[in-house]
Amino acid sequence: MLKVEGLKKMYGRMAALDGLCMHVREGALYGFVGPNGAGKTTTIKILTGLLLPDEGTVTVDGMDAMKEPGKVMEKIGYVPDFFGVYDNLKVWEYMELFSACGGLYGLKARRRSGDLLEQVGLGEKAQYYVDGLSRGMKQRLCLARALIHNPPILVMDEPTSGLDPGTRYEFKEILKELREQGKTVVISSHILSELAEVCTDIGIVEQGKMVVEGSIDDILDQINVRSPLLITVCRNKEQALNLLRSHPYVETITIRQNDIMVGFTGEQEDEAMLLKQLIDAGVMVGGFVRERGNLESVFLQIINHEEGMVLISES
Amino acid sequence: MKVNPIYWQETRVSSRSFRLPLIIFLCNTILALAALLNMYSMVTQAKATAEIQYSSFLNLYVLVACIEFVMILVIVPALTSGSISGERERQTLNLLLTTRMTPADIVIGKLMASLSTMILLIVSSFPVLALVFIYGGVTVKDIVLLLIAFVSTAVLSGSVGICCSSVFKKSTIATVVSYCVMVALVLGTMALGKASGASGSSFLAWPLLMNPAVPFSAAMEEQLGNVWRITVLESWAGSSFRRFTAGDWLWISLMAQLLFAVFCLHTAIRQVNPRRKRRWRY
Repeated sequence: MLKVEGLKKMYGRMAALDGLCMHVREGALYGFVGPNGAGKTTTIKILTGLLLPDEGTVTVDGMDAMKEPGKVMEKIGYVPDFFGVYDNLKVWEYMELFSACGGLYGLKARRRSGDLLEQVGLGEKAQYYVDGLSRGMKQRLCLARALIHNPPILVMDEPTSGLDPGTRYEFKEILKELREQGKTVVISSHILSELAEVCTDIGIVEQGKMVVEGSIDDILDQINVRSPLLITVCRNKEQALNLLRSHPYVETITIRQNDIMVGFTGEQEDEAMLLKQLIDAGVMVGGFVRERGNLESVFLQIINHEEGMVLISES
Repeated sequence: MKVNPIYWQETRVSSRSFRLPLIIFLCNTILALAALLNMYSMVTQAKATAEIQYSSFLNLYVLVACIEFVMILVIVPALTSGSISGERERQTLNLLLTTRMTPADIVIGKLMASLSTMILLIVSSFPVLALVFIYGGVTVKDIVLLLIAFVSTAVLSGSVGICCSSVFKKSTIATVVSYCVMVALVLGTMALGKASGASGSSFLAWPLLMNPAVPFSAAMEEQLGNVWRITVLESWAGSSFRRFTAGDWLWISLMAQLLFAVFCLHTAIRQVNPRRKRRWRY
């Protein structure tokens, strides 16, 4: 649905994007993740036609965004990281303005605006002035505005930043609803726990390059090898600990009652070998499993940051 | 009929705000006070001397027209110089650019909105101008010619304002620069015209064609003949100014100003277009 190849963008001497590639399949809810300055907003601005890349191609639904920007714009709805509202307009007037900007006039525009305001929960606020709305309502209004021309793709840049948890939850619900309607959504956010809940696919970008991309399950499976091993010992715990302490692939050991969490750097075959060694040593093993990583650990591992250095988690 | 959405939004917001009625009220109050004071002095003089000087009524017309001309020069840049930069400051420009609206639609919508405000102001001042009809001496054709001069001045100063607004990010800087450009166009070209008269070089006189005071002055001269020839403007700008206010130069001057306005609008459209390679930024 959305394909980005070899995107490059320089700001003076600094490379904001350095050959970024991105592939978003139809109907996906794609989380676009990266630390500050990684090139997320630059990429989004290029996708929405607000910036020209120095090199690279953007293809939207088979159309080259550089050659047919007008047609591509009709396929994309854009929710920026700011509200972008006219305070001295009423909510329905704001929607009517952007309906007209999208080529929708009269009764059709009014119906569409009404439906969208209902969908984002602002149906009763249509007669209110925009400056009387709360932050969350303004953000929902922005979402409704972006959907006014019924685009198949929605591009959102940090849409939930600065919103309270309740509003963020409502926003997530709306996103799920949009996905059910068949929209393809690209969403950039720092709040990884939220992305993990709603996104089907994810792309992690750093220093203008795509570091990893794919479905969340695939990515979590890829990094499983670094997640800790959780060994439940029913008997002979001391023997198990002695064996683990002397094992070359064991980096850390954490004990929680009968469970032992082991930082293990070996591959799957080494895991099997360790299990065999434990059993051979007479340890009664009740459980032996890799703990599944979460998106935050993936993010930290992939971009090789020290823990707690960059990530902002607001869950 | 499909109206430009930007024009629609601007007119709706301006008609809702207190600013537009206030501007119209203040401008017409100034014009009416000037006209009524002039009439009062004429009537007092007529009572004292039992003579009516009809040239005084034409002076009244000149006075009101001049005040209106100056008001257009002052108000239009103020209306337009914040138009694009204001959208940038509100962060709504990027949203408009991600719709079907082209940069040209946005710029033209902004210009139309400020021109419609200005035309409303001009039309609302017609009753004051029509005071001169009481005593005769000015025809409807004269008023139409004056209207053309006013509209061309409004288009020129509006285009300069929008151009500055698109080049400069901040509305304050855009306003200051657009006033500087207007001062250069009106007073600067007059100074050049005077210098050309003194030095005998006609080259320096050509920028006078860009001066919005030229068509206005020509319209006045068309109506008033010799009365206008002795005006202060001519004594300021010298014989070159006089030359351009006569004959076909009026239309050539109007065309030159229209071309300059088109150039300003083209620059504004280029500046607003996000898909343009930027060489510099302010």
